[in-house]
Formats: sequence, C-alpha cells, structure tokens
Amino acid sequence: MKDELLKKLSACVEFGKTNKAALYPPQMKGEDGADEITSQLLDEGVGAQEILTGGLMPGMEKVGIKFRENKIFVPQVLMSAKAMGMSMVHLKPFFISGAAKQKGTFIIGTVQGDLHDIGKNLVAMMVEGSGYKVIDLGTDCLAEKYIAAIKENPGAAVGLSALLTTTMVNMEQITKDIKAVFPETLVTIGGAPVNDDFCLKIGADNYSADPQGVVDFLNTKIA
Amino acid sequence: MNNKKSMTSRERVLAAINHQTPDRIPVDLGATPSSGISAIAYSNLVNHIGNAELPVQIYDVVQQLAQPDRTILDRFGVDVLDIGRTFNEKQTDWEPTILANGAPAFYPKWFKPVKREDGSYVTFDDDGKTMLSRMPVGATFFDQTYFPYVDGYPDSYENLDAEMGRIMWARDAHSPWDHAGEDRFWEQLRERTLRLRETTDKALLVVCGCNLFEWGTFLRRMDNFLMDLLCDPANVERLLDELLKRHLATLEKVCNAVGDLVDIIRFGDDLGMTSGPFMDADTYRLLFKPRHKILCDYVKEHSQMHTFIHSCGSISSLMPDLIEAGIEIFNPVQTNAWQMEPEFLKKEFGKDCTFWGGGIETAGVLNVGAPEKVREQVLERLETFSNGGGFVFNTVHNILPDVPPQNIVAMFDAIQEFNNR
Repeated sequence: MKDELLKKLSACVEFGKTNKAALYPPQMKGEDGADEITSQLLDEGVGAQEILTGGLMPGMEKVGIKFRENKIFVPQVLMSAKAMGMSMVHLKPFFISGAAKQKGTFIIGTVQGDLHDIGKNLVAMMVEGSGYKVIDLGTDCLAEKYIAAIKENPGAAVGLSALLTTTMVNMEQITKDIKAVFPETLVTIGGAPVNDDFCLKIGADNYSADPQGVVDFLNTKIA
Repeated sequence: MNNKKSMTSRERVLAAINHQTPDRIPVDLGATPSSGISAIAYSNLVNHIGNAELPVQIYDVVQQLAQPDRTILDRFGVDVLDIGRTFNEKQTDWEPTILANGAPAFYPKWFKPVKREDGSYVTFDDDGKTMLSRMPVGATFFDQTYFPYVDGYPDSYENLDAEMGRIMWARDAHSPWDHAGEDRFWEQLRERTLRLRETTDKALLVVCGCNLFEWGTFLRRMDNFLMDLLCDPANVERLLDELLKRHLATLEKVCNAVGDLVDIIRFGDDLGMTSGPFMDADTYRLLFKPRHKILCDYVKEHSQMHTFIHSCGSISSLMPDLIEAGIEIFNPVQTNAWQMEPEFLKKEFGKDCTFWGGGIETAGVLNVGAPEKVREQVLERLETFSNGGGFVFNTVHNILPDVPPQNIVAMFDAIQEFNNR
C-alpha cells in the first residue's frame, strides 16, 4: 500500500496532478492528486521524510531531466511544481518542527535591477522538490539581502538569477560581496545571459543551464 | 553582387521577402521595437560618429529605445522605416530627461514616470495609487507590475478594454499608437504615411502587435497563463476570442488607413525562451495557430502588406505551423537559442520565410567582442542567411546599452564589405 501510494505521488508530481478535482492531466482525470495522496500517506503513518524522498523527489527528478531534454516545457514544470506544492503544505509542519529533515538550505533571488522571476521560481521549486529548504528572496535583491539570509542560515548555498545582460554586472558585484563576508558560501548562478566563462570570471562556484543542474550541484556539494 | 541593377530600398526589401536576390543586403535599424537601439547605446553612437547634436528621442519608453534620426539611418544604409515616426515630429512633442548613464535625452511629453527615493522609476494608473510598471535602479527598461486577472478570469469581459489600457505596453505605447485616442487619428495616420511614402524610397512598416499569447501573460501573469494553457484551455480560448475580436477591429482600421501604402505589418508574440519554446507544437496548434491564421488571412485579403512576427527564443519547432498560419517574416531570429542555429534555420525554412534578424549576436558578440570579431560574425551570418533572398539584416533583438559604438560601426562596415565583394 505504502509503496503504491509513493509511486502514485511520484506520478502526480511528474505529470502535474494537483488534486482529485483537477482536470489536468486528462489521462489522470478523476484520480486522486498529490493533495489527497499525501494525506493518505500521512494517515498510513508514513513519515514526512519518506514521503519527500520516496514520492516527491523521484517525481521531481524525472521532471528536471525531461525539462533539460526539452521533452516537456515550462507549463508542464509549473504544473508539477504546483502538485508538489500541494503535497508540501502537508509536510511543511514536520520540517519546521524538526521531525523531518531536509538536505540543506538554499537561498535564491533575482539580482538587483532585475525583476524577472520565472526562471528563479522554477529553480526554487525544483530544489525544494529535491529535498532542500528554500528561502526565496524575490527579485531586485541587493547583496545585503543575500548576506543577511546567509547569516540567519549558516551553511546555506546561494543561487543568483539574472535575465538581462545589463544586470550581469550586478551578479558579479553581489558574488564578490557575498564572498567577502562568507568566503566558504557556495554561489551558483543561472539565467539566459550567463555561462560557464562568466561564472569563472566572477568567482562563482557553479553555473547551471537548467534547474536540474542546480539540484545536481547541491546534491554533490551540500547534501 | 556588384553587377546587379541598383534597387531602391523598398525594392530591395521586397525582393528579399519575395525570395529574389537583392542588389545588396537590405538592412533594418529601428523600424520595429525589436530591431532597434536602446537610448543609451544610441547616445553613445551619435557621440562616437560626430553627430552629438542629434537629440536622443526615447520613442519606446517601456524598452527605453531611441528613434534613430534619418541622418543616422541614411549613413548606415538602412532600408526600412516605421510609419510611427511620422508622429511626434516636432521637438515640442518631447520633454527632456536624463538617461541612467547621465546623458541627456527626451521622452514624449505625455510620459511622466515618478522617480522614487531609491532611484527607481514607477508609473501609476490615473488613481495615482495603482502601480503599473517599474524600472528598478540598474535596469534599463520598465517591467509590468499590474496584472488585472492574476486571481482568475472574469465572468464578463466588459472591462477588458479598460484593463488592457492599464497594461504598460498599451498605456505607454510607442508612436503612432500613443496618438490612437485622438480625433482623426486614422485620417492623420493615412495623411502622414502618404507624405512619408512620397518623400522616401524606403520600405514602410507598421507595428501592430495583435499579440495573443502575450496578452494572456500580460493579463494573467506569465506563470498563471502558462499553466492555464494546460489546465484551463476553455478560459484561455474564451480570452483569446475576446482579444481576436479587438485585434480584427484594429486590423480593419489599419488596412483601411494604410494597407495600400505600407509594405510590412509587424505582429508580436513571444513564443519561446532561450532553452526551448514556451509550449509544444500541439498546444500552439490547438490554441494559437487558428487565430494567427485569421489575423494573417485578414491582412492578405485586405492589404498589400507582408506579415511579420516578432517572437523571441527557440521557436523552430513551431515555425512550420506559424508559416502555415500565414507568417512570412520572422524576427529577431534568436540564433543563440535551442535549435535556432543559422545554418539549420536557413536550410529548414529558408525557402518558406524571411529571416529579419540573426545578423549578429547582440549578447555575447556585439556587446563584448572586439570589432574584428563583430566583422567576422556579420560576414559569416550574411554568407549563411543571404543566399537567394529571404533575409533582412538586423541584430538579434535590440542593441542594448552595453554595446559599444565602435562595434555598431564595425557591424555596418562589415555589411558594406560583404556588399562590395
């Protein structure tokens, strides 16, 4: 029963099935969604930790890989994130109380001067679905905002997002400011205009072209 | 190419669109708000080439784009003009402002953003309270902050016109649309376009968005509308039909006013991002293609204009359907996006459409490369794209503030070099 429910939850995340009432995806119409299945798992006595690692994470990993390979596109990823969010509502109290543990903390924000957040949100959702606590600082973030968040969350990794070539310069300054205060803090960068060369140039620790790359980086470095 | 009979600018552009080899490469700079130049880059350019006396007029205030002066267009051999430039012709139509780099410039006199203490600029609705758009410090254009249907679709679309009017792209529209509400606007548009036609041999273009997918994102916000495509297609179609009604009404007026004078009509609908399209081809076919076809069919039946679409990003997987829907010209040809390599595009679609852009990477080469690197890429791109027509030179999207003027000159010099081969 447990294994079957975890498998179902994983499928709900993979295909973006939020709850029973949801009409999407058409092939799962009328079936329980992430919302109901998570409740059932908790009722069965399955721990939040196991629901995360056995249900959400395998589903989200498939989403990350399919998105990387352009087999699915942003709308599908957003639906998967929505399904995962429905499940996380049930699980969050356990993570907050410490009854269940996440793999680490990830602070993310779009850099100063840039108000674009879809890419940042996709990364945040996928990282959360991969077992990390995510602190989303929003958009147009100054270096001080990242630094304050690192102070409150020692050992957290930081993700900087930028869509504009004209705000890449801010990404460079923010990375330097963070490293000046917390040289050990891992900084990963992403966004349309950014690449490996730029990452090397500004002294960041990682560049990922897609959200799954951030998850892979975190899994290697802080999990 | 030198032995070819010399063409007028208009003949050159039309030859390219009709897949005939023109006498030289047709060129655009500034005829559309996605083939233009930012006010800062333009200010640097006019100073660099000794035309510092020319005013920097920010005709597209949202994207902070300058309207290049005719002197500059002629100097660089530009072949096409936006008819919007026939409005705001007098210096009294403009008011001074200061660019982020400290250089002087002008806004259309109706545009009055509010500067906040932190240095950012914002715009408000008539109530003075609802913030509609914002340009943070360090940014060089405005972003939308007001999304009327963010919480859900309305039961009735009675208020759609009013809500569309609050979206920055409509409210702070570039010319000629900043005059659209005035008496005799359509007569004025015709009269002014007639005058322009009589005084230039350049091709003429009218920008008339007719955006469908993008209006969905403006009204519902991007993330919501993207999910709606999958989980609420009925409401998406209901909204698209309302938009289509309005777009067809506008097209009727445009075709009546200038459909016999203008060569190209430019639609806009960003369907892709760098790493892939926003949707798969099935979703495009179901929701957007039939409506794009209705727009294109209308233009073809009621005017002489060629159909042009601006769509950023990776769209090669959608291009066969866009072409079938009636799109003839694609811009900005974002060659650094997934499956948008120049050779692939030309081979796959070169016979069926015209590429208006892709001439050089604005991000990665034009902004950071040495002038020699700029020359090399322009020559390479011209070699790939220009064979047999079907190409109008333009950068991949607008020239942004970080592009040095030396590189802009090197870019136009390289076109000249190619033409003289």
